[in-house]
Amino acid sequence: MDVQQQVRSAAIEHRFDPYEDNGGTCLAIAGEDFCIIASDTRQSNGYSINSRYAPKTYKVSETSVLATTGFHADGLTLVKRLDQRLEWYRHAHEKEMSTPALAQLLSITLYQKRFFPYYSFCLLGGLDPEGKGAVYSFDPVGSFERETYRAGGSAASLIQPFLDNQVGWKNQENADKSLPDLETALRLTKDAFTSATERDIHTGDCLEIFVVTKDGVKVEQYQLKRD
Amino acid sequence: MDHFPAHWGKPRHEQQIDQYNTMPLYTNVQKTQAASGPITHTQSPVVTGTSVIAFKYKDGIMMAADNLASYGSLARFRDVERLIPVGEHTVVGASGDISDFQYLKHVLDSLMTREFYMDDGHVLGTPHIFEYLWRVMYGRRSKFNPLWNSLVVGGVHNGERFLGYVDLKGTTYKSNTIATGFGGYLAQPILRKRVEGREDELTEEEAIEIVDTCMKVLFYRDARSMNKFQRAKITKDGLQISEPTSVSTDWAFAEGIKGYGA
Amino acid sequence: MFLTRSEYDRGVNTFSPEGRLFQVEYAIESIKLGTTAIGIQTSEGVVLAVEKRVTSTLMEASSMEKVVEIDRYLGLAMSGMVADSRTIIDHARVEAQNHQFAYNEPIKVESVTQAVCDLALRFGEGADGEESVMSRPFGVALLIAGIDEKGPQLYHSDPSGTFMRYEAKAIGSGSEGAQTELQEEYHKSLTLEEAETLSLKVLKQVMEEKLNNKNVELAAVTPEKGFVVYTEEELQRVIDRL
Repeated sequence: MDVQQQVRSAAIEHRFDPYEDNGGTCLAIAGEDFCIIASDTRQSNGYSINSRYAPKTYKVSETSVLATTGFHADGLTLVKRLDQRLEWYRHAHEKEMSTPALAQLLSITLYQKRFFPYYSFCLLGGLDPEGKGAVYSFDPVGSFERETYRAGGSAASLIQPFLDNQVGWKNQENADKSLPDLETALRLTKDAFTSATERDIHTGDCLEIFVVTKDGVKVEQYQLKRD
Repeated sequence: MDHFPAHWGKPRHEQQIDQYNTMPLYTNVQKTQAASGPITHTQSPVVTGTSVIAFKYKDGIMMAADNLASYGSLARFRDVERLIPVGEHTVVGASGDISDFQYLKHVLDSLMTREFYMDDGHVLGTPHIFEYLWRVMYGRRSKFNPLWNSLVVGGVHNGERFLGYVDLKGTTYKSNTIATGFGGYLAQPILRKRVEGREDELTEEEAIEIVDTCMKVLFYRDARSMNKFQRAKITKDGLQISEPTSVSTDWAFAEGIKGYGA
Repeated sequence: MFLTRSEYDRGVNTFSPEGRLFQVEYAIESIKLGTTAIGIQTSEGVVLAVEKRVTSTLMEASSMEKVVEIDRYLGLAMSGMVADSRTIIDHARVEAQNHQFAYNEPIKVESVTQAVCDLALRFGEGADGEESVMSRPFGVALLIAGIDEKGPQLYHSDPSGTFMRYEAKAIGSGSEGAQTELQEEYHKSLTLEEAETLSLKVLKQVMEEKLNNKNVELAAVTPEKGFVVYTEEELQRVIDRL
């Protein structure tokens, strides 16, 4: 490589990339009358751990919790914007925004940045107006779907098949295909994250579990390996 | 092997370039240059500062950064202060482009002056300055015109210690130990080992000793560092930024190094 | 009231020394020139009835629209300068669809009413000298009827941008007499069918012409059918009950 070529490739290499992958994993499981949304609290960049406690799951209302993975700054900005929209909605309509309404709002908020997307993989969990557990999963540009369980983020490919089997009763014969109870969902969540922590270097440090029931949102922490 | 699943199945990255370093110095290349467009200096660092380290200790926050501003591999300016006070209880430390940092310093000074003139009893504490810096950094990155820095914001607010990080992309985090740039690889492991879990026990003397150890390791291994640095401590009683100091070094081991053409 | 008017009734945005905006008050006055419209809320739904002044036998009465749909469960009746209401109706429809798009849920009746009233005071020049929407206040009053999670509701809004919820309300030229009549006849256990007859009965009393299926318009919002404007045949069946 001569000098001129070197400079040119360097110039291209130096084009500013506005995105970063901060890793992390999240998971949501809906039950009959509850929903749990969990994520690890590690924030990383490549092989480096930025922080052992940088939460990426937020309680946005009394009935909904939002988990984001991908580029942390975008996720944080998104949550800030949604919080603002939620407040305006309260003032304009004198009621709390329901989880399905928030899902639709999140979808269009993401789509509005279709050509400079928020690099965020969102999981929205909570209760619907009937009091049933609801999980909505999104891609960075706003496609979304209501489901009963979903894993997202860097260890999604490790956890999703596990949930398919244990929560979705996939590949199980004669399963009764019922929704999990809270205790089962919590146990599966902890197991899923303990295992993901073993194999995914971006997942670990601490697990934060949000449980949404008709009584509100409770948070519980569970230590993960810090290596 | 590549441990990042997200990279699997995609072309390999040709070479990793230190983002906090000056671009290839020979920028006055003509003709072929046009193909890749002009070199825009706002989108790459020119005169740079290296690592900033910071951590929590018993009385507050301890930070350190050396006084060197490099121009590529040239040690260009040797008396640059990279730790600045903002208000009474906050210190902002910066690595990366020095001119961008000096601009930020101006922005923060204007902000603090405006707030002071308000005279409404409201003061901007460390978390507020942190949030503001985050919005500035994220706003600039969203306009594809980033301020090429990694910033560390340390302080004490309402009796609580605060230590946060913001960078050119708007990435933020709070942590008990923070190290930017090369410090992330060289000093952070030392800080984690010596500080994590002992944040409420470490005395000022111990904290200073840890800073010195880290700065020494950085000086030994980071070619863009200098053995002249400042420490900053922020406690509930206010902030103090020390005069430049140095650590004693011993290069005798170099005699024993074999290879590398030596 | 119309005696000592001076320079204060010129500018649409100028208060009089007594603290009044005369142009807005005149706009409210103009409603009293309009045809009568009546709204009655029941537990089964809301009924809207309006009078149409058919000034010529050659006029196609059905082309006169004074009750319109805003959304599936929302409609409004108007009185006053009907042309002014187009802006309002467009705004209300956009607001309702926009809410559906943003939140995937139907908008509340009160929110639509509020949105409509936000428009009402956008006359004269703005505080920052920006281009204003209208040069004078609206000359219409509205009865907004709808059903949402809070059940059947009826709102009244006037050119001042004030809105209030009513169980039964009359606006327009015959409103005074009609309101008194509604006051006497209304009770909370009214059925929708009773409300249909009551609205026409009251309308009949205040109308100058003889009421028939051409010179009145009747509409209802129910949980079953949403907002529906009655056909002449359906209307005739209600008239036959009178």
